[in-house]
Amino acid sequence: MLKFIILAQLLITLLYLGKLGLAVILGTIAFLFLTYIWVTRHSLTRGYSKLQWEEMPWLYDGIARMANKAGIAMPYVYILDDYIPNAYSFGNSIVLSLGLFEVLDEEQILGVAAHEIGHIKNGDTILFPLMAYGRYLMLFLGAIIIVFVHTTIAVLASLGLYVLYEIERVKFLKEREFKADETALYLLDRPFSLKEALEELKYYEDLRITVRASALPGIEPNIERKQKKSFMDTHPSYDERIWKILAEIEGRAFRDTLK
Amino acid sequence: MEPHEFKLNEEGLRAVLPPLEAEIMEYMWKVKVATAGEVYEHMKKKHPDMRRSTVSILMNRLCERGLLKRSVETGRGGMRYVYSITTTREEFEKRIVETILNALMSNFKEATFAYLSKIKK
Repeated sequence: MLKFIILAQLLITLLYLGKLGLAVILGTIAFLFLTYIWVTRHSLTRGYSKLQWEEMPWLYDGIARMANKAGIAMPYVYILDDYIPNAYSFGNSIVLSLGLFEVLDEEQILGVAAHEIGHIKNGDTILFPLMAYGRYLMLFLGAIIIVFVHTTIAVLASLGLYVLYEIERVKFLKEREFKADETALYLLDRPFSLKEALEELKYYEDLRITVRASALPGIEPNIERKQKKSFMDTHPSYDERIWKILAEIEGRAFRDTLK
Repeated sequence: MEPHEFKLNEEGLRAVLPPLEAEIMEYMWKVKVATAGEVYEHMKKKHPDMRRSTVSILMNRLCERGLLKRSVETGRGGMRYVYSITTTREEFEKRIVETILNALMSNFKEATFAYLSKIKK
């Protein structure tokens, strides 16, 4: 769906701007490609440390075992100097923040790592940057059409396509998070460790918000301190993920009993 | 760290720090350097339901208050955060007294001065 939306935006640009449109499209794609190359080369600067086997054999071996089960090469594992628990992946690399090691036990950390391996296995580490750059392309072409094309239909169609792209992008990203969880459940020796990790991380975030809110000056009304859940959030909530994981585990157990 | 409020109905450190943060500081002043895991093990003895997340958040809150500092240590167990005290308990208490007396002297100079003179006698 997303590629059809981009294609439609490209067609509108070509249709209404002709050669100028083609030059804009090619120039933007070339610029975004160079930006992508620059970002990938400079994504790991300060605060990252590449994990060596001797440092945490349980983590290194656990990730190697799961990568093997997933049929992917052993990912590079980086430890990030950040006290906030966090994890993400890019290319064939996994980043785990030091904060994770303070709040989760070994099994739960492997649960988080399994989710990131799930993203690599499912091709999300390639798809997600493409989608992000697709978004910039949509936005830039939309702006060009507004400035250079003085036809209401073209402007409205371009804006509509951008909005549609955003809605589809958010929906797609959420689906990929669930898919990474599903893959993680297959990779883990004890699937419940991912659920437990998410529960602990949810507890951490809720508590952190409470502690932050209580540290604010008292004159601020409490209602304004609550974190708002946006419909444009690209990640599903912890609760949604936990429910899906439970349903998946129960479903698997039920299927096993039928065999 | 400058205390911003003083609770008249609380005792000891709890007058200037929330109860759990005060307990963590009591322990940290005793051991001087510790990981969040070590503090968690200590706190769990008194609060069995306490979670690792609570300790981690409170210790980082104490870092923001300037009472603790966090550094990365690479050892046999890999990288980890180690927390250490930035001030002794005596220095901290001295600073509280100075801050409160300065505030009293600038807001209620005569009454404070008169009361302090009375105590001295």
